Amino acid sequence: MTHLKLTNISKEYGGTTVVQDFNLDVEQGEFVSFLGPSGCGKTTTLRMVAGFEKPTSGTITINGQDITNIAPNQRNVGMIFQAYALFPNMTVAQNIGFGMQIHKESKGAIKERVNEMLALINLEKHANKYPFQLSGGQQQRVALARALANRPQVLLLDEPLSALDAKIRVQLRSEIRAIQKKMGITAIFVTHDQEEALSISDRIVVMYEGRIEQVGTPFEVYNFPNTRFVANFVGSLNTADAEVVDPVKGLLSMDGIHFESAEGTKDRKKGDKIKIAIRPERFGFASEQKKANVVDSTIENITFLGSVVRIQLKIGNTKFNMDTFNNPFLELPKIGAIEQVTCSREAVLVLDE
Amino acid sequence: MKRGGLVWSWFWMILGILYFFLPLLATFLFSLRAIKGVLSFKAYQNLFVTTDFVTNFSYSLVWAIFTIVVGILIFVPTAYWVRLRVPQFRTAVEFVTLLPFVIPGIVFVFGLVRTFSHPPFLIVNSPALLIAAYTVLSMPYMYRSIDTGLRAIDVQTLTEAAQSLGAGWETILFRIILPNIRVAILNGAFLSFAIVMGEYILAQYLAKPAFAPYMAYLIQQKAYEPAALAVISFALTWGCLGIIQLVGRGSQQAQIAGGH
Repeated sequence: MTHLKLTNISKEYGGTTVVQDFNLDVEQGEFVSFLGPSGCGKTTTLRMVAGFEKPTSGTITINGQDITNIAPNQRNVGMIFQAYALFPNMTVAQNIGFGMQIHKESKGAIKERVNEMLALINLEKHANKYPFQLSGGQQQRVALARALANRPQVLLLDEPLSALDAKIRVQLRSEIRAIQKKMGITAIFVTHDQEEALSISDRIVVMYEGRIEQVGTPFEVYNFPNTRFVANFVGSLNTADAEVVDPVKGLLSMDGIHFESAEGTKDRKKGDKIKIAIRPERFGFASEQKKANVVDSTIENITFLGSVVRIQLKIGNTKFNMDTFNNPFLELPKIGAIEQVTCSREAVLVLDE
Repeated sequence: MKRGGLVWSWFWMILGILYFFLPLLATFLFSLRAIKGVLSFKAYQNLFVTTDFVTNFSYSLVWAIFTIVVGILIFVPTAYWVRLRVPQFRTAVEFVTLLPFVIPGIVFVFGLVRTFSHPPFLIVNSPALLIAAYTVLSMPYMYRSIDTGLRAIDVQTLTEAAQSLGAGWETILFRIILPNIRVAILNGAFLSFAIVMGEYILAQYLAKPAFAPYMAYLIQQKAYEPAALAVISFALTWGCLGIIQLVGRGSQQAQIAGGH
């Protein structure tokens, strides 16, 4: 059942459109990430759901109720900010209980809920500390507890992990996801970090220049990008210009080198110029068994990235990256060597413009 | 630092201290000579013999308290609103708050008298006009203190966080913003207090009893008591500044850390 619905949402600032024709249905308990570069309109959309910005046109409903023109303090929408936004004059417990106090709940109920929330975020011993006495990660957990204590209809997270260091970020995103699942709350998560979005979301909304580029599960968005932007933005990608040779077989030509693609060429004609994309990890060194898409390449550079080794290849006149898992017993080719590389027909994506 | 530089630093510092403290010391010593040939606090005692000192001092105290309250009620929401909703007007508002520095007090008071001494604004005799005038006079200190306090906290995010939890404007202002800028408000309040306690022109020309006009009157009548009054006045101002330092230092760490 649709819990949160955004219909034809647009937002303009002084003649500049920052969000355009945004349509999205979010199910109850779903975790949806808005992913895109800075200025793509993801935070503006989130702020319209929170009520801090008013859409120029369109409607927002929660559980069928139109909240487009309702004040932010009347929406019962929890929000977590990048800068934590804990009230410096209040202790951890007071911060968590603040929303319930506003809603005039009894002291007993507030105390019980605050303890429940403190247990949820494993900060029971810090109830009487002030925000400045906590680490960044702890402060953000308190902010999460504070937002959830009010039992909001929707939880909004505006780049909540951006201010934290890498290790805490990974740990906290798992905690956020686990708590969201446990409480069954609908959540919208804004991020520009693709790894974060891929790891935490039920669905990802990829945005670019105020528009939705693609909505799908992390698997769909990563493996089957609809547009060139999505393909480029989500994960690493090799792109190249090609020409359709045989639309029925999916045969393409890149600088005279033939590739076969499993999808996307039947609606095109022979000679059509297209853009193809291949993920670095879909390349491999050719073995005897592999028959499709076996091409000669020149090894241009090899970069060690820890768990992965990135090999820069040149196929025809086009440069490609190939990723292979690090293996201490792996025999890497020499720079300048000519090696046969391959990728499956399914790995060759044909991109929309 | 070179030895020569250090000597000069000390020289200028001592010269500065002498410049500020010698007149004060002389005034203090003079105030102790009310009885010929003996150093005593007679002049101070004389001040309290009549009720004039206490009365005028109390009036100034009342004016100062009202000025501070009115100042907080006007400038906290204004500075908050400017920061939150119309930051593009901050420079213009700051310019307006500095006007009392550039408009001479005598010009200001004659403007007030001329404007408010005939209908429909016949309030020249009302204490409200004096308090309003004091509020304007203390504006540069009060507004800028509050604005500095607001700069130390993330006003917009705190406001939005409170709104998302269901808080209205009143709750946000009184439970979130005010407590987090209390040191700044105290700074502004004590500076306003010191200004009002020592202000002469407004009280004199609006014909209201106050501490400074009483001191001026006393100078014309007596010799040693005005000196005693001047010392009390200095002690009062310094006391205020001392409290600002004390309160400011005590809360600085929490405020800075809390602002992040």
